[in-house]
Amino acid sequence: MKNAIEIRNLVKSYSDKFTLGEINLDIPSGIIIGLIGENGAGKTTLIKSILNIIRSDKGNIKIFEKDIKKNECEIKENIGVVLDNMFFPELLMPKDINSIMKDIYKNWDEQLFHKYLSEFKLKNNQSIKSMSKGMRKKLEIATALSHHPKLLILDEPTSGLDPVVRNEVLDIFLDFIQDEEHTILLSTHITSDLEHIADKIIFINQGKVVLDQSRDDLLDNYGILKCDVDKFDTISKDDIIAYKKNKYDYEILINDINKIKKKYKDFIIDKITLEELMVLMIKGEK
Amino acid sequence: MLGLIKKDLLIIKNNIKFAIIFIVVFVCFTEQSSELLYFVPIFLSTMLFISTFSYDDYNKWDAYACTLPQGKKSVVKAKYLASLLLTLMAVLITLILGFIIGAINKNFDAKEMLEIISGVVVAIVLLQSIMFPLMYKYGVEKGRIGIFLGVFGMSGLIGFLFKYLNIKIPNNVIQTFNDYWFIILPIIVILMILVSYNISKKIYLKKEF
Repeated sequence: MKNAIEIRNLVKSYSDKFTLGEINLDIPSGIIIGLIGENGAGKTTLIKSILNIIRSDKGNIKIFEKDIKKNECEIKENIGVVLDNMFFPELLMPKDINSIMKDIYKNWDEQLFHKYLSEFKLKNNQSIKSMSKGMRKKLEIATALSHHPKLLILDEPTSGLDPVVRNEVLDIFLDFIQDEEHTILLSTHITSDLEHIADKIIFINQGKVVLDQSRDDLLDNYGILKCDVDKFDTISKDDIIAYKKNKYDYEILINDINKIKKKYKDFIIDKITLEELMVLMIKGEK
Repeated sequence: MLGLIKKDLLIIKNNIKFAIIFIVVFVCFTEQSSELLYFVPIFLSTMLFISTFSYDDYNKWDAYACTLPQGKKSVVKAKYLASLLLTLMAVLITLILGFIIGAINKNFDAKEMLEIISGVVVAIVLLQSIMFPLMYKYGVEKGRIGIFLGVFGMSGLIGFLFKYLNIKIPNNVIQTFNDYWFIILPIIVILMILVSYNISKKIYLKKEF
């Protein structure tokens, strides 16, 4: 499988407040990759680095096996983007966006754009200003998809959408990924969305990649072991990745669930959700 | 590039009602003196154009524009070209209005009109040439304050030099200017735009969004 995105030794610092990196990632084409992490973990910085909107201090990034800095224009013809709260000035209307974009992208498809507009029930001559948050998001997504991109880079594409629309949008993403040359990189806080659609999860914490695994491996291998306060000491420290102390019991994050199940037969071991995994890894004690 | 130019012009188109109402009201109230009228459309178009910077800023357009092919490289060029186009359109509108109102009032003076419009265009281009780099460098709000300080400071300084230090422009310079203003002014305008554009471009390419 070819790589849609290849990141090598990427470092980006903002004065001394925050540093992203060093990041090394291979993002294969043909799949949906979910980027998770708390606010300020570096997701948006990573996305902006990939898009060459910000200058990295070190490292290089290849998209479609070409250096983004050298082939920026050609590469961007094939990328669709939804960024969090960054879009056309709100005085404009969908028909204006169509008229602008057809002079920007070689492959801009007016018919496709209008198809998405009617699918999303958006009016051609309503200003962005007067749209609800959900409508704006849908317009952003329609705009990102209408030049037949091969790669979608989406920062929080489903935030602010109600469950019904969110599902519509996720279906569109699933539809998009049917073409095996297509790839989606999406960051989100709504981890349950990723449990449905992502093939691979990348977890960023404090500027570092802490997990980079297929979703199935992740959800099949990690688990939560629950035990009473007095039994906590019977569990080997080597088996504990992180733990959280509740009032009456401990929740312990473990890896290799089958091995642990054999080793600790008297304990309850549950499957994990991405949300629990994220919270325990960030907030849990070690 | 064309798309980016369109973007600014479309923002203005969607915002133009106010300007048209203003011009109509203005025309109705200043029946006789058309001199002031020559100033209004060009000035209004500049105000409208500067507002596009605010809209860009408010919706973080620049970051989005950087994700488009040719994005970061052409944003500044498109801005200057859109501004020029708009000024040209405003000049055209002024000419048409001038003819119509002059014909109605039967006091049309083509030479006077051209002189005033040329003066206004030079002043507006000077204003924009200073303002755009400032806004790119310091953001829309601070850039605006900068321009007010800059314009008042400059006019104050020039006034001071002429009045108290008794500096006089030699007569032959004035004479040459009077004879050749239609060549000298366009050259000055083009030079100002080129210098300003290059400064803005340098600032913009260094910027991160």
